Formats: sequence, structure tokens, C-alpha cells
Amino acid sequence: MDSFIKLSNFPKLLPYAQLFWQGILVTVLLSVFTVVIGFCIALLLALMRLSNFCPLRFLGLDKNGHRKQRGFLAAVGRFNPLNFLATAYVEILRSTPVIVQVFIIYYGVFSLIKLPSVILFGFIRFDRFFPGVVALGLNSGAYLCEIIRAGIQSIDGGQTEAARSLGLSQAQNMRYVILPQAVKNILPAIANEFVIIIKESAITYTIGVQDIMSAVNAVKGATFIIIEPLLVATAIYFCLCFPTSKLIAYFERRMSRGDKR
Amino acid sequence: MATRDSLIKVTDLKKHYNMGTIKALDGITTEIFKGDVMAVIGPSGSGKSTFLRSLNLLEEPTDGSIVFDGIDITKKKYVDANGKTVNLNIDLLRQKMGMVFQHFNLFPHMTILGNMTLAPMKVKGMSKDEAEEKALALLDRVGLKDRAGAYPIQLSGGQKQRVAIVRALAMEPEVMLFDEPTSALDPEMVGEVLDVMKELAQEGMTMVCVTHEMGFAREVGNRVLFMADGLLMEEGTPEQVFDHPQNPRLQDFLAKVL
Ligand SMILES: Nc1ncnc2c1ncn2[C@@H]1O[C@H](COP(=O)(O)OP(=O)(O)O)[C@@H](O)[C@H]1O
Ligand SMILES: [Mg+2]
Repeated sequence: MDSFIKLSNFPKLLPYAQLFWQGILVTVLLSVFTVVIGFCIALLLALMRLSNFCPLRFLGLDKNGHRKQRGFLAAVGRFNPLNFLATAYVEILRSTPVIVQVFIIYYGVFSLIKLPSVILFGFIRFDRFFPGVVALGLNSGAYLCEIIRAGIQSIDGGQTEAARSLGLSQAQNMRYVILPQAVKNILPAIANEFVIIIKESAITYTIGVQDIMSAVNAVKGATFIIIEPLLVATAIYFCLCFPTSKLIAYFERRMSRGDKR
Repeated sequence: MATRDSLIKVTDLKKHYNMGTIKALDGITTEIFKGDVMAVIGPSGSGKSTFLRSLNLLEEPTDGSIVFDGIDITKKKYVDANGKTVNLNIDLLRQKMGMVFQHFNLFPHMTILGNMTLAPMKVKGMSKDEAEEKALALLDRVGLKDRAGAYPIQLSGGQKQRVAIVRALAMEPEVMLFDEPTSALDPEMVGEVLDVMKELAQEGMTMVCVTHEMGFAREVGNRVLFMADGLLMEEGTPEQVFDHPQNPRLQDFLAKVL
């Protein structure tokens, strides 16, 4: 019986090892930058969603200056444009395919913004890499937003009450009381998002980012071998993701043990 | 009784939830004078916490007014002494009202000293040294100076509540609000917390205490408020309320708790 994998094909990949090494580096760098950008966007979105910004509040007040309980104007008075924008952003990005978002950023936004065609470290093409990071960062920002929001909301409401009753402002309460506690709940989820991005970043080879998938594609183009390089890529992605998830799970367990001290 | 200075004047205070279907407060009118130790009693769900939390605007009242230091704090703006309209600064207002909660609400990620110095430093702009010196003096008063470096989780319930009280005192409030400060404590720790409160009352601090400790209300309080169904049912001196209750709901309540 003929196998669809030919062991004899693997030695033919050796000349392309360099491409795979570079691909690993690109994938890891891309993922790190994506998580950092994603986290910053997500924190901003989460704070927008939790904000108390109601510029039309005055429309929802009765003649004594108290908030109306019901009616159209009461709803207008409660309208929070920051929350609305952030929610719209999150829902749109979570309800559309990543590849569509990547293409819109690359072929749309970055056709207007001309990037310099510099090569970093001798092999990273900045004008492909940067749009990839931006597109993936915008996307993971939407997912991380909900994680951060949940992390903030999981902190006991008594903490905010105590902080506010001491005279701390809403911003001071966030900064000194809530976020330091929420980070502990959020960190494992961010690490997990990193693992997800390592896998999802494979999509950026479609806009010419030279990641692991692009190495597979290059080998295919030169040698017409496809299955064996794919298996190499599979092994690489697994070796990147599996130990990382196990490590995260380990630290998560240790951290939750610390809670019950 | 000598003439007393009004500190907080509450008029027809209402707090409704769920579009008015839940009336947590349904028109409370009372006045708190400087130096008062007011005990608020009543069955669970009668609106005691809501009343207390409305005083420092942790709850936004649905209707009515709360005049504190001459300013109606339920309005977003007020007219100051020079006739200028200024925005109400809620954070400034809350500094003047210390609050102690049933579940302590210490910040678990900070040491006791950190808990005590956060607001004085960030809100009042006190230097670290000054804030720490003051915090240690306050901790000393409640016998917890040696635990300054500990984290809240390392303290007993009674110790936590004593820290929570001095944490509020570090802001030098004009009035202290207590919401069932001993209800979450093991019985043997109730006394140490009540002792601190008693001492505070003797020093002349204005206090509003929601409490189930009738002995404390009778001994330390100069006024007792009885609430039920979001209404102020009866108000008077401890003798009047405990020995000669008029309202049947109060008589019924006292029969159950005494
Ligand atoms: N956030 C809220 N939403 C809806 N109902 C509430 C809320 N907070 C309090 N209530 C209701 O208001 C009433 C008074 O509550 P509370 O002031 O906590 O009573 P107490 O402190 O006397 O036990 C209760 O019926 C309670 O269920
Ligand atoms: Mg209560």
C-alpha cells in the first residue's frame, strides 16, 4: 500500500531549514507584538464598556434634578456613547472572519498608508509584518476585551465601595484597587490568547508575512513537496503551543493555591 | 438638651429599584446632629443599608434631598457662599463621611499600612512619611500597630474590622457610617469592635450605626431609628424606643430580638 507520506522526502527539506527557523522567529515575534497591542486595545475597550460617561444625562432628569425612572428620555439620559462604540467594535470583530479583517487592513488601510520597505534582521519584511500585527492586534483586542471586562467585574463590589467611600475617584479606584487585583485573574487568559494567536497568525502568510506557513509554501513552490513540509509545520506549531499551555496551566494552579493561603 | 448643630438633614428620601416596583426607601425624613450616635434598627430588607449608602451617595437617591454641611448633595450643582454655581464634588463629599462595612472590604493586595495610607496619600496628597506616621498612631490606638506589615488575609475578623474603622478615620471624616459592622464576626470578636466604636462615640464622633446589637444601641446611642418597609416607623431615645415602643411593628420586632 502506498503511503501518502514519503520518508525519503524529508531529507529534501534540509536545504530549506533556514526558512523554517526564520518562520518560527517571525511567528513568535508576530504573536508577541499582537498580544501587546491586543492587550492595550482591550484594556481601553473594557474601560470604555465599564465607564459611566453619559453626556445626555441632563435629558433624563426630572424638574428636581433626579433621574427619571422610565420613558424614552430616561433611556436617552442613560446612553453611554463610549460603551456603545466599544460594544459595536467587539461584536463586529467577533462576528466576522479574521481573514477578511486581515485583508481589509492590508489591502485597504495600508494601501492608503505607505509603509517603508525596510527589512528587519535581514529577513522580516516590515511592510507585510506590520499590517499583520495591526490586523491580528485589532482582532485579539476584541476577544481580550471581554476577558478583561470579566476580570474587572469579578472583583467584589465591596472593594469599589470601600475605595469610593474613602474619597478615591473612579480612575484612582481602577488604578490602585481594582486593576492590581484583576490582573491576577486576567494574566492566564492573556497567556492563553498568546497561544491562540500563534496558531491564528498562520493566516498572515496570505498577505506575505514570512511565517512558518510561508516557509511551507516556499518549499512547495520550489520542490512540489507539500505533505512533508506541512508535517514539519505541524510539529513546530505543536512544540510552540503545547508546552506553553501546560506552563500556563501550571502557573494558574499555583496562583489559585496562593489565594487560599 | 443644648442647641445642637445640624450635620445632615434628610427630607423625604426615596430610593426605588426596578422602575419603582421595589421601594427600598419610601420617604425618610430625619436630621442628624453633630455628636449624635444614631442607631438604626429594623428587620432585614427594611432599607437600613440603602439609607446609609444614600447618605454618601453610594446609592443615587430617586427622590428627596440630603443636606450635608448646608449643601443638597442629591443635586449635581449647588450655589456656593459667593453666589456662584459650582459642580458637586462627590469625592470630596465622601472624604468627609467614613464608612465601615459588614464584610470589612479591606484591600487584599495591600498590607494593613498600605490600606491605611492609600487614601490619605492619593486623595489628600499627604506625603508617605506623614501618612504612615498617622496610620501607625491610629493602629496603635486599636492595638494593631505590630500588624502594620501584615496582609488582611492574615488577620482575624475582629482585627480586620478594627483596621477598617481606623482606615476610615485616617481621612478625618466628620461623620462615620457603620453598616452592621459586627454581623460577620464570630461572637467572641464582637466585643473588641464594639469597644472601639464606643470609644469613638465618647470622643464625640458623629456616628450612624446600622446594628443588631441592641445592647450597644441602648448603651452608646443617644437616638434610635426603627425602620420597616423602607419607612421610618419610630424614632426616639433608647429609653423611648426600647422601653416604651409605640408602633406595633417595633413591638413585634423587639419581641423577636430581645
Ligand atoms: N441593587 C438593588 N436592586 C434591587 N433591589 C435592591 C437593591 N438593593 C437593595 N434592594 C432591595 O431594597 C430593599 C432594602 O434593602 P437593604 O437596604 O439592603 O435592607 P437592609 O439593610 O435593611 O437589610 C430590599 O428589599 C432589597 O431587596
Ligand atoms: Mg443591610
